[in-house]
Amino acid sequence: MGEMEQMKKEAEALKTQIEAARKAAHDTDMASAASGVAPAPRVQLKTRRTLKGHLAKIYAMHWCTDNRLMVSASQDGKLLIWDSHTGNKVNAVPLKSSWVMTCAYAPSGNLVASGGLDNMCTVYNLKTPVIKTVKELDAHTGYLSCARFLSDTEVLTASGDTTCALWDLETGKQKTVFLNHVGDCMCLSLSPDMNSFVSGACDSLAKLWDIRDGQCKQTFLGHTSDINAISFYPGGNAIITGSDDCTCKMYDLRADQELITYQDAALNSGVTSLALSMSGRLIFAGYDDFNCNIWDSLKGEKVGVLSGHDNRVSCTGVPPDGMCVCTGSWDSFLKIWN
Amino acid sequence: MDELDETQLKNHVDSLKQQLQFNREKTSVAIPELTKWIEEKINEDPFLNPDVLKDNPWVESSKCVII
Repeated sequence: MGEMEQMKKEAEALKTQIEAARKAAHDTDMASAASGVAPAPRVQLKTRRTLKGHLAKIYAMHWCTDNRLMVSASQDGKLLIWDSHTGNKVNAVPLKSSWVMTCAYAPSGNLVASGGLDNMCTVYNLKTPVIKTVKELDAHTGYLSCARFLSDTEVLTASGDTTCALWDLETGKQKTVFLNHVGDCMCLSLSPDMNSFVSGACDSLAKLWDIRDGQCKQTFLGHTSDINAISFYPGGNAIITGSDDCTCKMYDLRADQELITYQDAALNSGVTSLALSMSGRLIFAGYDDFNCNIWDSLKGEKVGVLSGHDNRVSCTGVPPDGMCVCTGSWDSFLKIWN
Repeated sequence: MDELDETQLKNHVDSLKQQLQFNREKTSVAIPELTKWIEEKINEDPFLNPDVLKDNPWVESSKCVII
């Protein structure tokens, strides 16, 4: 038997052992363990603001840590910075490449980033008299699907080249490359303690990575199609994923396994994006069918719907203080709901 | 896995060996801790505790006066 064949067999055997270890740890399920918890009430939200200004599909949005400003990215070739309270546009950043897929706000509020089919992550300084490009992070060999700032000096990216990377903004170089996915990486989420992150990819897997040693620590199976959205639970011990297989799933990090699937027979559109309320009890999931469904994360039931967009909901975000949820759509509008 | 070359496959196997070593917690311990964390935070969650949303920045708190 060739060495490759041998290693493939070994890989399969290890995966089987991991599944067995997970089963051994599965001494109760979510339905039983959460049976004492009262169901979440029905959630009916109103649109408080409709932000108009983009001229084409919106692909991404991200809240600033001040709970008020947000950045959105559209294939009209612009990043817009919005004051969500007034609905006014504070800044417009013209992009070199209009094929943008992601945007991010730095925790400091000083920088924003964007990237997409240009395979690059471009970082802009919002605080200089005229908005300047700080760095172009250029090393990925595939599209940039997601970017997140750890600080004003470090950025994490996920790419269609199947890798994620940690970049040093001072040198513009990759400090660490995270290798393990075998499909395009579509999304990433930083842990609350900033020591790790999770990524979702077109190989239907979610992976947990140690930021400093670059290793994949855990792999989460269960989805049957691309994972488009992923988020850490606010407490840091669980993650939620959203997939083209029309379901969302919760995985517990300590038990190393899936706890619950959020699905409905009537739902046959892919999940594009998701965000959690600040306790983690509610999941706001955006779908291809133009709606955002609200799920009770402990009971697995749908408790509300946000209807109002005229096209796919492509991005959702809850600010750190949890006071609202923002949805962005291919209909070119952003809506603030609470 | 068919797309991986020999080095990548070796790294994959090594990674799986490491992942197997992970010390898994029983769900009977992990789930109650998860639900406890959430329940403690529910009072602060504006979507679940209407009192927190009393000062809603997106809703006018006073009436308009026509002068």
